[in-house]
Amino acid sequence: MSEENWIEVGSTDSIEEEDLIRFDHQDKTFCVYKLTDGFYATDGICTHEAVHLEDGLVMDDEIECPMHQGIFNIKSGEALSPPACEDLKTYPVKVDNDKIFIKID
Amino acid sequence: MKNNIIILGGGQAGIYAAREIRQNDSKSNIKILGEENLLPYERPPLSKDFLLDKKKEEDLYFHSIDVLKNENIEFENISINKVDFENKKLFAKNDNVYSYDSLLISTGSENKKLTLDNNLKNDIYYLRNLEEAKKIKEIISNKNKITIIGGGFIGLEIASSLSQLQKKVIVIEIGNQLMGRIIPKQIADLVQNTHIEHGNEIILNKQIEKITKKNGIYEILLNDNSLIETDFIIAGIGSTPTVKLFENTNLKLDNGIVTNQFCETSIKDVYAAGDVSNFYHPFYERNMRLESYQHAQNHGICAGKNIAGVKTEYTSIPWMWSDQFNLNLQLTGMCDEYDEIIERGNDINNGVIYFFLKNNKIRGACGVGIIGKVGRDIRITSKLTEKDTIVDKQILSDQNLKLNKLIQK
Ligand SMILES: Cc1cc2nc3c(=O)[nH]c(=O)nc-3n(C[C@H](O)[C@H](O)[C@H](O)COP(=O)(O)OP(=O)(O)OC[C@H]3O[C@@H](n4cnc5c(N)ncnc54)[C@H](O)[C@@H]3O)c2cc1C
Ligand code: FES
Repeated sequence: MSEENWIEVGSTDSIEEEDLIRFDHQDKTFCVYKLTDGFYATDGICTHEAVHLEDGLVMDDEIECPMHQGIFNIKSGEALSPPACEDLKTYPVKVDNDKIFIKID
Repeated sequence: MKNNIIILGGGQAGIYAAREIRQNDSKSNIKILGEENLLPYERPPLSKDFLLDKKKEEDLYFHSIDVLKNENIEFENISINKVDFENKKLFAKNDNVYSYDSLLISTGSENKKLTLDNNLKNDIYYLRNLEEAKKIKEIISNKNKITIIGGGFIGLEIASSLSQLQKKVIVIEIGNQLMGRIIPKQIADLVQNTHIEHGNEIILNKQIEKITKKNGIYEILLNDNSLIETDFIIAGIGSTPTVKLFENTNLKLDNGIVTNQFCETSIKDVYAAGDVSNFYHPFYERNMRLESYQHAQNHGICAGKNIAGVKTEYTSIPWMWSDQFNLNLQLTGMCDEYDEIIERGNDINNGVIYFFLKNNKIRGACGVGIIGKVGRDIRITSKLTEKDTIVDKQILSDQNLKLNKLIQK
């Protein structure tokens, strides 16, 4: 794991618990979540149609797409409910000095 | 015990039921009989991304044949034209006979047809299945001015797609607003404005008197004597449950096949699910028939459980969407039984939602906004409805206050 792939997202208090923020880096969009047991990151666009998941609902460990209610597991990216059937990509997250970093490959 | 389970109708409710039965019952034979020579597929893209060429045929299937094989679910392409409930048999046109122990009817719904008194019947197109979508796509490639008869969801989605394909589109609606049967007028007007902004012509309150064809061009005469010339006509004037097959049987019909909250019909061992069923909803304490993606899925799953012997009530709060241009419209619950309406937001860019309340509890809501803007709030609304929560109206009406607060309590 090379150090330079860790990208700073923001401070840990920029996300409320059971919520997410959108993070754009270069030409990609990510969602970074705060769940009860820590921070997680996924791609920011639904795998069904090109819709930003930032407007979706975070409940327990799941993100629900605002357009057609496709559901993904935030931790594994697994598509749990149609019309979403392709999994969502997930990314490693670390916290250092109250700052959130995600590792983009 | 090993049973013969037959699913009549290979659409969305049918496939979800089949897989749910298999989850709970590894032994029984499960066979889907479908008259379309296609594995079960999603219909929503037919009027949207399929017309726009953003989705291809292979993107529409719910599952591949391998998934069905793995789960030992048989699919046979056959049209059934007679049923004998007494002897538990189905008959096909080619004289095949199918015996069942349990039967699920998931024959869906079919488009209402215009009553025309001349030879133009085959000139008017309708959209319900993939074959029709392919035909429409092929024909419109060299048509320019297209008229849609009926301003309901499907008609408007086609109008949106055709406009994006640079066609001149006219929508003729008999009622005084679009999507009149279920959508509040305020929301319908917002959608109408978007169509007009994109160049579509919307004609309300007009009836069709006559359609004639001259030199390959159609002339539509309206009841105010105005005349519309058009290259092609598509009608989307509503649908009816596909029940013709059962009309002279003992099966209880009333706007579809009447079922209870367990998807059971009036005949033992016969179940119905999806568009075709007029089911009892325990939360709303009445029967209803829905034509929506989420309902076909969840109702199919519920029927599957009950057929497999896992007695399960169907309590899902209704939900549906429609995508037109860059708008996403969503509807949850029932918006026809209320003593108060609350509005949230007034700008389509941030989303506008109308909540329908009775005794301070939400019964339904309808919202529209730029893609992504109403989904979360509508989803939370479904949950609040389901939990029969007394809601804080201040939070509902103020778009700056998150609805999440209401649900976490
Ligand atoms: C163009 C279009 C767009 C839509 N868009 C949306 C949307 O945006 N959002 C939304 O929520 N919903 C939408 N819907 C509605 C949704 O697709 C339907 O509610 C859903 O498909 C219903 O599923 P079903 O299994 O009940 O019926 P269907 O999917 O219609 O399946 C029924 C099947 O049974 C077969 N069948 C009928 N009779 C026989 C027989 N005698 N023998 C053998 N087979 C038979 C039919 O051919 C058909 O294949 C749309 C529908 C259409 C047509
Ligand atoms: S765009 Fe996300 S489920 Fe359809």
